[in-house]
Amino acid sequence: MTMLASLPQFPWLSLLVLLPLGGALLCLLHSGRAAECRALALATSLAVFGVALYLFVCHGQGEGRWLLYEDSAWISRYGIRYVLAMDGIALLMVLLTAFMQLAAILLAWKVERQVASFFALLLLLESGLMGIFLAYDLVFFYLFWEVALIPMFFLISIWGGVNRRRAALKFFLYTLVGSFFMLVAMIALYQIHGGQTGVYTFVIGELLQTRLTATQEGWLFAGFLAAFIVKSPLVPFHTWLTDALTEAPAAGSLDLTGLLLKTGIYGLIRVAFPLFPNATANFLPILGVLALVGLFHAAWSAYHQDDIKRLLAYSSISHLGLVVLGLAAWQLTAWEGSILLMVTHGITTGALFILVALIRERTATRSMQELGGLWGQVPCLAFFFLLFSLASLGLPGLANFAGEILVLLGTFQDHPVWAVVALLGVVFAAAYMLRLIQGVIWGPAAKERSLPDLTPREWLMLLPMALLVVWLGLYPEPFLAPLHGTVATLLAGGLP
Amino acid sequence: MNHSLLFLIPLLPLFCAVINLLFGMRLPRLFAEVMAVTGVAGAFVLTLIFWGHAEGEGTRAVLFTWLNSGTLDVSFALNFDRLAAPMTLMVTGVATLIHLYAVGYMHEDDDYGRFFALLNLFVFAMLVIVLADNLLVLFLGWEGVGLCSYGLIGFWYRKLENAKAGTKAFLVTRVGDVFLGIALLWLFALTGTLSIDAINDQAAAIPSGVVIALSLLLLLGACGKSAQVPLMTWLADAMAGPTPVSALIHAATMVTAGVYLLCRFFPLVSLSAVAMTAITAIGALTAIYAATCAMAQREIKRVLAYSTMSQVGYMFMAVGAGTVAGAMFHLLTHAFFKAVLFMAAGCVIHLAGDENDIFKMGGLARRGPVELFWVFLAGAVCLAGLPLTGGFFSKDGILLALFTHPDPVYRVFWLVGVLTALLTAFYTFRLVYLVFAGDYRGAGHPHAIPLLMRWPLWPLALLGLAGGLLNLPAFVGGGERLHHWYGALAGREVSASHDVEWMLIALAAAIAAAGWLAAHWRYRSYRPPLENRASRFLLSGWQADALVDRLFVRPFAAMARFCSSGCDRTLLDGTLDGLARLVSSWASMLVQLTTGRLTTYLSAFAWGFLIVLGWFLIKLVNGGGH
Repeated sequence: MTMLASLPQFPWLSLLVLLPLGGALLCLLHSGRAAECRALALATSLAVFGVALYLFVCHGQGEGRWLLYEDSAWISRYGIRYVLAMDGIALLMVLLTAFMQLAAILLAWKVERQVASFFALLLLLESGLMGIFLAYDLVFFYLFWEVALIPMFFLISIWGGVNRRRAALKFFLYTLVGSFFMLVAMIALYQIHGGQTGVYTFVIGELLQTRLTATQEGWLFAGFLAAFIVKSPLVPFHTWLTDALTEAPAAGSLDLTGLLLKTGIYGLIRVAFPLFPNATANFLPILGVLALVGLFHAAWSAYHQDDIKRLLAYSSISHLGLVVLGLAAWQLTAWEGSILLMVTHGITTGALFILVALIRERTATRSMQELGGLWGQVPCLAFFFLLFSLASLGLPGLANFAGEILVLLGTFQDHPVWAVVALLGVVFAAAYMLRLIQGVIWGPAAKERSLPDLTPREWLMLLPMALLVVWLGLYPEPFLAPLHGTVATLLAGGLP
Repeated sequence: MNHSLLFLIPLLPLFCAVINLLFGMRLPRLFAEVMAVTGVAGAFVLTLIFWGHAEGEGTRAVLFTWLNSGTLDVSFALNFDRLAAPMTLMVTGVATLIHLYAVGYMHEDDDYGRFFALLNLFVFAMLVIVLADNLLVLFLGWEGVGLCSYGLIGFWYRKLENAKAGTKAFLVTRVGDVFLGIALLWLFALTGTLSIDAINDQAAAIPSGVVIALSLLLLLGACGKSAQVPLMTWLADAMAGPTPVSALIHAATMVTAGVYLLCRFFPLVSLSAVAMTAITAIGALTAIYAATCAMAQREIKRVLAYSTMSQVGYMFMAVGAGTVAGAMFHLLTHAFFKAVLFMAAGCVIHLAGDENDIFKMGGLARRGPVELFWVFLAGAVCLAGLPLTGGFFSKDGILLALFTHPDPVYRVFWLVGVLTALLTAFYTFRLVYLVFAGDYRGAGHPHAIPLLMRWPLWPLALLGLAGGLLNLPAFVGGGERLHHWYGALAGREVSASHDVEWMLIALAAAIAAAGWLAAHWRYRSYRPPLENRASRFLLSGWQADALVDRLFVRPFAAMARFCSSGCDRTLLDGTLDGLARLVSSWASMLVQLTTGRLTTYLSAFAWGFLIVLGWFLIKLVNGGGH
């Protein structure tokens, strides 16, 4: 008993990172046996979800900065440590990742080509995402940042659509160039800190104390920003996303929009803002304007699309513009709204991407000109499509509204003009979403054809998401509660 | 009695809506119908039971916290007070009768589950607006009615025009919602609360310039839902929906939500004379605009739609003239008689064999059940404001308030109101003559009218005719009951000498008679519609759609094209392609990498990871711990 008591806490966070990695390795070792791989992937992601849920329920509340913290030496010579840390924000992102991954695995069920590799890549991606959301050492963070990049590259370039090569390459180049700047800035910061204190370390918590001149801070901040803004993505660095989302296989689009996009914004919150508070303060107005430009540009562009997947890609960019706007407002309510909106956007847009994939499977098209009248042909599918579209356009009582109104209420406090302009974007969102709904489910049926409605597996994907969308819309309290402390700390530690 | 039971009033229709949505099509039709009607009728009965709670300061009920962040703390909370109670009773009562009518109307439609679910959901959302304790909950209902309106206008979705009309209604009202949204954000920033009563209490402390801006924002928000100028273009097209929908949503309840909103915020709005004048001006403009349009319409439901806009314009004028009681009085009587008119119009369309054009009707008094004519006439005389009807008293109260307003500019509004009354009487009787008089001019085969489409009209017709009793003015011996009921919320005390009152009432009677006579002279015997520039201008609603198209829709589409094709495709991707060509050798190498044997590659990847992992574990064991 004494031995048990002296042991450190069970490494739940490591488990979150390593479980999917283990699953991926097992999948690869079982390549050739498709059914086993599917079961294995599902079991793994169920286990991860179980752990995430356990953490949410049992470690969701806590005093202090961290809910859970794991720290071990790794490569002592360079001061690289193995640090995983979970605060309220990370908790939500971890939960979202675990949840969305389940849907992605179910969605990938029908992949026929190189099944083992596909699932292995999906699980590897999950591991990378968990790492990004939990790492608190810069080297570690960077490692996972790249780990998440590689599987997505392969998912697009091998299982993607007609233009997959081009899209994958674009995705790869954009993110690689972005993260190169981050790497340089990271090493520079390490050197500066080491030179000042004699302690060479990559742990973010210790780097916070580095004293930087304004010029140094500006340049280093810019380096990190490059990686995060491209990933977010803010206009004008967004064209990789529309291509990647359109060409990626269904499960890949789901992970890309639901999870991978959030890593950029998450990086801002977790790394860039706290490390460089003064540069952040100077940059916030620009960030706000960039966010608004992105919001409108993407909404307009979405309105012009005929391919429903591309339309949704633009709508994602538009929504993330609002998320970034909330961060730029630097206000408690706005931040909590932004983080909530990240989660809700992941679910609603993710669900819409699932539905697009299901529609594509049935009708072999994604063009609104060739769609229409699905309500009469596949009523259950059309109902889900309507529900998630309405959630996406910000209907009160559904998930996105809760996040959006918090962002707007918070932003208005100090930046009324931003909030008012963003609110105009609401009409735009309605314009393209209603066009989408009209083009897909209303109108005369484009072709007389009998289509199968939802299968049990598809119900299993969509129903939990639908329930969650209603729950988050009406009672987001359990998801907001873990945020209060974390956000307050981050805001206080940041801006002068 | 537990106060949170008050939540049963809106939640009962919601419950039935959800049941019908999920299971409506799998259960017998009768079940869905009974479910839908019981939900609404139950809410009506509950309102009667809880009526006592509205007296005094009213009763608040809180269900649970919705959003809590920083200084924001919003709950699902209701406030059943003197303003809300009569409106709740009207909404549930009229909705019950319209639901019964709808059962008859929809008896041949196969998609009844969705229809009744949406109709019940609408009643829920409308009740949320009426009962909301805070602005965010009100906004929930506000958007909810918009959604149901959208879904029901486009109910017969296979015709693309219907779906488009629904989309248009949603979008135009959403423009109004943006202004309401801005007001919401601003009020929270100013007062730190979203509770409507708390905001009204603090209104006096808000700088006067801000009060004007806030009031105008609320006004624009109200304009969207209530189809007032400049956000009125959607209502006429909304007639594409099934007739019970037009009766419930686009006549009796939803379109009056804007009036109710202004009444809710009356303590705030009334602080600013500028805003009050603006409200009256918008109301007057819409009243006369819609009345002129109604004179030239050919479709029976479009005539009624324009008349609804026009009558809601009167309600706006009442709010602007400072009398909440007057506005609510007209709102209630209008709800009764307009619902009758729409439902009777539904029967008329049935009789004419699904023909909407009044110039292809005629002689329907003899073609169908005779009571239909009488019921329609009852609604028509109320709308035309013939003496002693409900519409007469409620409209007269508004004109009196305008006439006695101390600000001389209100005399102009009064004049507009009188002129509108004249036009109203004219187009109403034009409608009656064209539909019922003379010989049948159409070619349609009449459908049978189910019993359930006939008898719900009677109670409403009687309510419309006798609606004046609700708030009978003192000088004709009435008790002004509605005014007294509202108490402090009733707004300005409208008073004038008896001579003035009698003069105005005589004028109103004369005007109604004049309108009737004009219509009698013009349409007693059938004449084909005029085909000239003026009539086309009025028929198209003053070309408002073309204007909106040119000013907003086309620039928006052009901007969309520019952002997507011009900016993203040409500029950004073009630049990128140029860059890509520079590094193309590198790029092709990368691509080749992926075309190789993937499994080998991935296995190598996996082994690499294992090695890293192993190293890490060794490190952990050696250097380990904290």
